[in-house]
Amino acid sequence: MRFDLDMPAWKWPFYVARHPFEGFEDVRWKKAYNSKVALVIVLCFFIVTVAARLMTGFVFQMNFEKVFNVVPLFSSSVIIFFIWVVGNWSLCTLFNGEGKMQQVMCVTAYALVPYIISQVVYIFASNILTRQEGTILSFISGLGLVWSAVLVISAMKAVHQYTMPKTILAIIFTLVAMVIIILVLILLISLFQQIVMFVYSVYTELMYRFNMS
Amino acid sequence: MPLFKKIGAAALAAGMAVSCLTLPAFADEAYYGYNYNWWNEPVPSQNGYVVDRVVTGVDLGIGTLSEPNDMFVDNATGDIYLVDTNNARIVITDENLNSAKVLDTFTYTDEFPEEKSIVKNTKLDTPKGIFVTHNGGETLLYIADSMNSRVLACYADGRIFFEYTRPSNDLYDADISFRPDKVVVDNAFNVYVVIPSITNGMVQFSREGAFNGYYGANRVETTAEVLQNAFYSLFMNREQMRKRARAVAIEIANCDIDDQGFIYTVTSSKNADKDVLKKLNPAGENIYLNMGIDQFMFGDLPLYYGGTSYASTIDDVDVDSEGNVFLLDFSEKRIFQYSDQLDLEFIFGGEGSQKGLFTSPTAIENLNGKVYVTDGRKNTITTFKLTEFGEMVHGAVEMFNRGLYQEAKEPFEEIILRDSNYWFAYIGLGNAYYTMGENEKAMDYFYMNSRGGYNRAFKEYRMDMIREYFNIFMIVVLILIVVLVVLSKVGKMIKKKKRAAAGGDGNAV
Repeated sequence: MRFDLDMPAWKWPFYVARHPFEGFEDVRWKKAYNSKVALVIVLCFFIVTVAARLMTGFVFQMNFEKVFNVVPLFSSSVIIFFIWVVGNWSLCTLFNGEGKMQQVMCVTAYALVPYIISQVVYIFASNILTRQEGTILSFISGLGLVWSAVLVISAMKAVHQYTMPKTILAIIFTLVAMVIIILVLILLISLFQQIVMFVYSVYTELMYRFNMS
Repeated sequence: MPLFKKIGAAALAAGMAVSCLTLPAFADEAYYGYNYNWWNEPVPSQNGYVVDRVVTGVDLGIGTLSEPNDMFVDNATGDIYLVDTNNARIVITDENLNSAKVLDTFTYTDEFPEEKSIVKNTKLDTPKGIFVTHNGGETLLYIADSMNSRVLACYADGRIFFEYTRPSNDLYDADISFRPDKVVVDNAFNVYVVIPSITNGMVQFSREGAFNGYYGANRVETTAEVLQNAFYSLFMNREQMRKRARAVAIEIANCDIDDQGFIYTVTSSKNADKDVLKKLNPAGENIYLNMGIDQFMFGDLPLYYGGTSYASTIDDVDVDSEGNVFLLDFSEKRIFQYSDQLDLEFIFGGEGSQKGLFTSPTAIENLNGKVYVTDGRKNTITTFKLTEFGEMVHGAVEMFNRGLYQEAKEPFEEIILRDSNYWFAYIGLGNAYYTMGENEKAMDYFYMNSRGGYNRAFKEYRMDMIREYFNIFMIVVLILIVVLVVLSKVGKMIKKKKRAAAGGDGNAV
């Protein structure tokens, strides 16, 4: 056991990033799940996603859109994150996972830190590098992605107390669960839209009737 | 208040007057000029070509034309050869479409006696294409005489000197008919015949009429059918596979040859997304591929149709002496004019019955900046001429393509003044400033216009910045390193003190 684990909550994400294999076990042992820190990280994740769209250098910005729209970016960062949390928790609860939903949220957010940092570096570097040096950039973003992926696997393993094969399986099924959740969400949204439209049309019809008489 | 009203009324009146002044400029043409920007969106632009004349057969004094299918402009003499398909004749007229001569009867001579001929017909039957070239003082006509299954080679006065007919060679597929549609002849008098039912490319004859093989076949499109066939071929035998529909390349629809002897071919299939336009070297290889143009969208782009997937039907191609490429789109009845580097310069024409619009455009040719288009249903020849703007763009782009970027700066500036939507002018100006060493300005022009150009200008700009600020940069870095080292030392000392204090407490407990 290490003796220097008494650190402020904001230091934990960086600690687990530096200790990808033992870090999350330490988080669990120290009960260092801090929702506030996790939410701040999710906010940073969102900001970085937006910044990547707006501030990446022209040479490397491949998906230019004429009209900037924040909604797809929000749903592809924050909403996907929470769907992951919900999907993972609901699946792993059924498969003897130990993690609570708050814990799953915290460790997943902690695991995102390397990706966020790599994206920040990417955005800065893309403004000072030319196309010929683009390999550096793809290395940076690849490194961040792989690091975060390793952390996510490690986090899931620790928070649910699974073996490695079971963790991998759980992650795959979580992805399936996410697809199902998104499907149901879209279905629900369109359904409610129709109900709202129906109520609204009844209302306008009534208003016409009253005005006419 | 009244004063405001007065000013307002005056402004309104002025505005109306100005709009009245500018309106007729629009009403002149039956089509609106447009072009594409960086997002591949259609944006209004100035017309580069306007209608000059519309000429019918009656105007030429030879009776109504009937479905003219092809046309050839002889660059050397300025004569225009028109294939009047349903009247089975060739109409020869001059550059200005004033007088006309009809060629409909041909004679067998000693050079090619009737006994040697397989077809033995002195009349044409549904001629579809023509090509004219010169050998010494003689004018040689090559007529794709479709229903007679021959390519008729004759002199300008109708004396036949050869007939290229269906090869008896085993190489030629026995099931396929020989109905020549278009014909092209290279400098060595090899004859290339486009036949609609052949997917292997053009049929190539030597000067003496020997079948040399196929030339310039298109690639097979990667469709689901190809994958399906590949899958079935894993366990089907050869007999079964033969019964399945084979995935074949799309046939060549039309062709042209430029002054350097490069042959251009087009396919008119709507679902072709490669080899729509090819520039073939003598070995039959597409040299546009070397220019990095593989899946280039020719004709109108999808955004023009509100994002629906759409492909143009490129029916004819023509290349002028400067290398500009004209493509005739049959589905939208438009002409797309590209520079020799395939930058879209102008779009003109359209569907309709007004002057300058077409119902069934069949062939396009050009001579000295004039563009001639035949319409197979209106039975007319429409001529277009370059506008002042068009001449300006042509001059500037030609300078640009020769590498005279600085010299092209002024014309491009003038182009932007006249039409700020003209995309290529920004790239031209960016290159001008780049060669002049004004990298920051070049970056401004390249931004959202050319990624490659921006990259080049930015590289130079960054180099300049590093050179200029290297001393300051290094000093800052050194100071930062010193500060970091000092801070970490101080931090360690503080930690040591704390731990010592904590350890003391621990011992006490």
